[in-house]
Amino acid sequence: METKNNLKIGVYVCNCGTNIAKIVDAVAVAEYAQTLPNVVLAKTYKYMCSNPGQEMIAQDIKENELDRVVVAACSPNMHERTFRAALRMAGLNQYLLEMANIREQCSWVHKDRREATKKAMALVHAAVLRVEKHEALESMAVDMSPNVLVIGGGIAGMTAALELADAGYFVHLVEKNNQLGGNIARIDLTAPYFYSARDLLTERISRTKSHKRIKVHLDSKVTDLSGFVGNFKANIYNLNGVPENEKEVEVQIGNVAICTGYQEFDASRITHFGYGKMPNVITSFELEKMLRAGKVETKEGKIPKYIAIIHCVGSRNKEFHTYCSRVCCMTALKYAHEIKSANPECYVSDVYIDMHAFGKGHEDFYRQSSQAKTLFLMYDKEHRPVIHKAGSKDDCEMIIEVHERLSGEHIEIPADMVVLMVGMEARDDAHEVAHLTNISQDKDGWFIESHPKLEPVATTTDGIFIAGTCVAPKDIPDTVAQARAAAARILARISRGKIEVDAVYSEVNVDLCSGCRFCNDLCPYNAIEFKEEEGLSHVISVLCKACGVCVASCPSSAIKGRHFTDHQVLAQIDGLFNNVDYELDEPVK
Amino acid sequence: MAIRVNPSFIDDLSRYGAEDVQLCYQCGDCSTICSHADDIYKFPRKSMRQLQMGLEQRIETTLEPWLCYYCGQCSEQCPREADPGESMMSLRRWLISKYDFTGIARQFFKSKTSEILAVILIALVTGIFLMFYGISGGSIHIYDGEGAFLPSQFIHKFDLTIGSIMAIFLLINSIRMWYFTMIKGVLIPVPWWLYLKELYELPLHFFTQKRYAECESNGKQHLHMPWLIHLGLMLGYVTMLLLVLVFVEPLQAGPEIRWSVHIFAYMATIGLLSGTIYFIRNRFKKNYTQYKKSHSTDWVFVVLLFFIVLTGIFQHVFHRTGLYEWANITYVIHLMAVVPWLLRMPFSKWAHLAYRPLAMYFAAIQKAAYERQELLVDSVSITIK
Amino acid sequence: MDDQWKIDIDAIAKYSANLPEVEMVKNLGIKPRLNVETLIETINSRKLERLVIAGDMPGYYKPVFTKAMAKTGGNVDEVRLASFQEHGAKNGQSLDRAKAIIACATMAVPFSLAAVPGGNPVNHSTLVIGAGIAGIQASLEIANAGKQVYLIEQSGTIGGHMAMFDKTFPTLDCAACILTPKMVDVGQHEMINLMTRAKVVSVGGKPGAYKVKIRQKARRVDVKSCVACGLCVDACPVKVKSEFDAGISIRKAIYIPFPQAVPNTYLIDEEHCRYVLNDGEKCGVCVRKCPKDCIHLDEEDATVDVEVGNVILATGYELLDISKIDQYGYGKFPNVVTSLEFERLTNASGSTGGRIVTKIKQYNRKTKQDEWVFSPEGVPPRSVAIIHCVGSRNKKYNAYCSRVCCMYSLKFAHLIKEKIPNVNVYEFYIDMRAFGKGYEEFAERIREEGTYIIRGHSASVVMNKNQMVVRGEDIFNDRLVEFDVDMVVLAVGLVPSQGTEELSRLLGVQRDVDGWFSELDYNGSPTDTDKGGIYVAGMCQAPKDIPDTVAQASAVAAGVLRSLTSGQGIGSMSSLTLSEIEEKAKTVHAI
Repeated sequence: METKNNLKIGVYVCNCGTNIAKIVDAVAVAEYAQTLPNVVLAKTYKYMCSNPGQEMIAQDIKENELDRVVVAACSPNMHERTFRAALRMAGLNQYLLEMANIREQCSWVHKDRREATKKAMALVHAAVLRVEKHEALESMAVDMSPNVLVIGGGIAGMTAALELADAGYFVHLVEKNNQLGGNIARIDLTAPYFYSARDLLTERISRTKSHKRIKVHLDSKVTDLSGFVGNFKANIYNLNGVPENEKEVEVQIGNVAICTGYQEFDASRITHFGYGKMPNVITSFELEKMLRAGKVETKEGKIPKYIAIIHCVGSRNKEFHTYCSRVCCMTALKYAHEIKSANPECYVSDVYIDMHAFGKGHEDFYRQSSQAKTLFLMYDKEHRPVIHKAGSKDDCEMIIEVHERLSGEHIEIPADMVVLMVGMEARDDAHEVAHLTNISQDKDGWFIESHPKLEPVATTTDGIFIAGTCVAPKDIPDTVAQARAAAARILARISRGKIEVDAVYSEVNVDLCSGCRFCNDLCPYNAIEFKEEEGLSHVISVLCKACGVCVASCPSSAIKGRHFTDHQVLAQIDGLFNNVDYELDEPVK
Repeated sequence: MAIRVNPSFIDDLSRYGAEDVQLCYQCGDCSTICSHADDIYKFPRKSMRQLQMGLEQRIETTLEPWLCYYCGQCSEQCPREADPGESMMSLRRWLISKYDFTGIARQFFKSKTSEILAVILIALVTGIFLMFYGISGGSIHIYDGEGAFLPSQFIHKFDLTIGSIMAIFLLINSIRMWYFTMIKGVLIPVPWWLYLKELYELPLHFFTQKRYAECESNGKQHLHMPWLIHLGLMLGYVTMLLLVLVFVEPLQAGPEIRWSVHIFAYMATIGLLSGTIYFIRNRFKKNYTQYKKSHSTDWVFVVLLFFIVLTGIFQHVFHRTGLYEWANITYVIHLMAVVPWLLRMPFSKWAHLAYRPLAMYFAAIQKAAYERQELLVDSVSITIK
Repeated sequence: MDDQWKIDIDAIAKYSANLPEVEMVKNLGIKPRLNVETLIETINSRKLERLVIAGDMPGYYKPVFTKAMAKTGGNVDEVRLASFQEHGAKNGQSLDRAKAIIACATMAVPFSLAAVPGGNPVNHSTLVIGAGIAGIQASLEIANAGKQVYLIEQSGTIGGHMAMFDKTFPTLDCAACILTPKMVDVGQHEMINLMTRAKVVSVGGKPGAYKVKIRQKARRVDVKSCVACGLCVDACPVKVKSEFDAGISIRKAIYIPFPQAVPNTYLIDEEHCRYVLNDGEKCGVCVRKCPKDCIHLDEEDATVDVEVGNVILATGYELLDISKIDQYGYGKFPNVVTSLEFERLTNASGSTGGRIVTKIKQYNRKTKQDEWVFSPEGVPPRSVAIIHCVGSRNKKYNAYCSRVCCMYSLKFAHLIKEKIPNVNVYEFYIDMRAFGKGYEEFAERIREEGTYIIRGHSASVVMNKNQMVVRGEDIFNDRLVEFDVDMVVLAVGLVPSQGTEELSRLLGVQRDVDGWFSELDYNGSPTDTDKGGIYVAGMCQAPKDIPDTVAQASAVAAGVLRSLTSGQGIGSMSSLTLSEIEEKAKTVHAI
């Protein structure tokens, strides 16, 4: 298709505070843009995404009848939606916008002011040429199913499910084990106030089970999830379901909340703690069991005189996990107290790295523990303590050797029992869920939220939400809050009834399609169906994520990616290769 | 060589007064605020740490507690109200009983009854003995000269005997202190001549207690008084000790006043009186941090001393006003207090009179030794890598 | 079982003794020393099958009871807690609540299961108090669901503290970039009724139908006709310290809080405007200068009455009054700054355009004397000390940890290193609390960047012949250190914002010992309150970082939307009578 020559393009260069301006000479870029064909105006502003910035754009569109807009700012991931809104506000089709990413792909990655500015100019040039080729597109709205699928029956899962069900929507709650409760079911009391975790759980479980709008699938897992936001299809497979024909059910849902939680770090991976070899080296969960059973005793059945608690087992260390597991510190203090409460004559040494007492009531709890004469010993996270058997004349079973940082001494700690505060880690089967729901995991296996700050429960896949300790370690209150946050998101979407789907997808030119079906198998989203009767491939637009694989693969180039047409991409490339000559008018800072 | 932590140590220590030491979370504010902490002697934080962990091998060799005069600023500053000042005080008590080879000090510090009983017992023995001696040899109506109830020559010998007993104990304990701090405590060679070179420190600190004065440097005015009073008390005490051990005969002669000796006695008395009153008052009113917590031994210390001064004054007055019977009786009572006081000296807080200046002296020697080894680093020039 | 115990313990004992199945009641007194043997003895002699420990924090004593139970061969799961504090029986008035809690425990029924108020109709509009990130997030969540929101904000603009920040840890993306679009959304949203410069003056009604009277200070500038030409500002003779710039820059009495403010129009600061102060006698120059005559200095404050079903508290925090703490010489030495001041200094939209500089002397014509100010001409510091836990974790000021200081201090270190070549940065810390997602890695990164991170808390900053010296103990290297520094940044602790106390009174929401709003249930419902239909989100509940704040903000939205879509409002705990709870507990017990 040909471009009109009487286009009016507006170019807006954002300083992004100093993020862009400190490396890129934004003014020069704007001046350069001014010289490009069809560009009627080029402006800079400190924060283009802010209210004044957006209003400036909208106003210019109205006053100067702009019909194309280029915003040179951050990644479109960040703010394309924002500026599209600005265009809509001014009555211009939102797809007549092109963003030039001069922050993430320019100012943040370059040091040389001159080179960076030249690159920014090239990027802007490319954007200008591309936007000329843009077409007005209309996005469409599809219905939103009110049913919700919640994966994971821990505190997060149940909380989310209850919120949604109480709001009047039907929830399928899928739990892999034969009972609800997750990891909290293994805990009796919670830090720092010694509130009963069991009561909390009893309440949640009985409400969940008795709720008429929650279908609990125990011993089950989701084996397949197809469709798109608002219209998912999920297969729930019962691991030991009888009769055979009821093993698998297919459910229609609009949104998914993933609350699959965490698993404890396997202490035996740290060989020199001798876990599994030494009888009285136990994990925090094993101690919890003992406390719950009311007998804290060594394997030989003796009441321990010295108990040592070692923090950050598997956490905060390059060898295993670099992150902090967030709850262990307070849990350790809880144990220290519980041990003393059960065996007052027992001495507790608490071997830690940093005392993470950050939450409500935590610091005071820490102080109480000191008052109760818990001996706090600090070690370096790169030099772990070493446990070995005590000598015959020692009054204890084991000796822990460690470099104590606050005294600067290399010390020995007497111990009859050693408790390893095992950290949290992503579940081994997390990747299955990730694959199933098409969301991503970070290097540690935690699910990635779509924005770490402002979207802590949303994911990059529309309609899929995450909450609780499957996102990152966190304590019960934070988990509950997140679970409700996820529920809120879903509630808001359901109550709107419809959901807008992006107009950017690929479509098949029926005249060119030879029906070779290459694309059908290549499409990662199963968005291409083959119409036998016509012998042609057809793209189901709502499923298409516009990845472009089909476009590239089509031998007869019959598939066009809307908003990513060859013209547009080639024009963009042309723009990039326009060599700009630009000299700094000011000395490099 | 790894050293063993002793979690039960603080239980033991609490008997010496430190109740809050385990509250410390090691922020280091106290060391920062302390005007005496320096590159080698970093306290109170580090001492607190050693107490928490019960590192006896370390604690017994430290001089730090003696370098602290308990101005109380660390305790005021402490964000966790762990009371470092009091912990240092308790540490001094612990060290006194550590230096003492007889174990009596330990007993005194741990149980106040045993201490008070001991005092009373010795007092009674002394009293009875003196009464017998007086009645057998002299008359209650004569205070001095021929047929005196307690003739000054005898008192002189008596004082010297008691004094030397005390001195022997104190000497042995001081030697033990030297052994702990200078032999066990110092890992680098200390040449003998450093002991001579730094010798002046001993009298300097003994007679000026300048470090106590330095406590003011953080601008707390009320600290001015304690130093003066404490100095007055100490000098008065030493003068008086000297007088009774050497010049008791001219001192006791009378009724006319021998200004050559009595002028000193009077000045000493003023120092002692004002000192004891001041400290008793403060311990009652708990007005400054350092007086908030008083160990039983502290009370015995000041009260007994006050009593001695008082009886001393009375017997002097009675003698000069011709009430010889009263003078003799008060004299006996006076001595009944003095003897247990003197004998208790090496096993009590009193001993810090000797340990403090010794500590300053040793500290100076250690510093010099470190400088020789060029181990001493100037903190200002430090950058951390 | 606690010092500040006020509930009539004997009344409770008498009540408990009369409960069915209760064999014996024992008053353990305050801070009891419990002995296993005696407990075992009692259990055996009285053949007890269930133990209920009642008190503020009964769990504190549970292990010894469990042990005793185990020793007697009883069922350890039958040691139940009647936890007063957890379920809001906090003061003398809540005697009945305490009784109910015990009743439930004796029946082995979780209190939260027996005590479920609600079922009342709900008004469909919601009031959000405070327009920081929490208030904004909550409002958007609800408004996006197509529900009416009244968002009120005390200051002249929304955005709160987050709008003042430059970068946010640990990702270092700029706060403005992620916040301002949301602010725009709020400003443009048809379902959000935004009221700035507004305060709640009275609250009536009941859960589901609160009648709130809001007082809105007059803006005195016509929002519609003002074109923000700025002539009035040039004309205005009154200079005031800018709140938005944490006082490090000057604004006029007629001003826009900051360039990206929402709503983005001028307003009159009536507390400083010469005209207003003198009842129209003096000044009024701005009116004369204004070409569109949209300034109405005599405009009156307005009161608005709204009826709402739910109320969300998002009032946030403020810095501890630093003048209480003298040892760091704040106010005495010019270049000792608070974290918030530094945040503005390093911010691109700040008075130095983001350049980190030390203050310079400037002559003030009015006061006729030199004063220290930040200005772009200032020279960058050669070395900066950042001191953590200023007023936090300190019995004298805030006993609690402020949760965010460690991380933003590390962020400061990074920004300084990034902006000033070969500068020395010293961090004095006690515990490095890098607990969040990616925080630990961030801390490591800062360490690798060459910031001197010193374990040891500096207690003093002194001036030594015109050179600031910060003294501290470097504990890991076992040495006392003194550094010459040109700037000291104090990571000042956080306290509830001023209005908190008054609001808690107006709304009848409890506060904890530190003054933050109390949640209904620490674990179970961290964002609900004792009062039905009133929720807490973000900092005003306790210090927390942005992700946790946002999560909470969304969470409260869930509560609101649930009540709206189901039409079932949540009532107040206090509305439940003892007998109601007992009955409910019995029915649950039966199942």
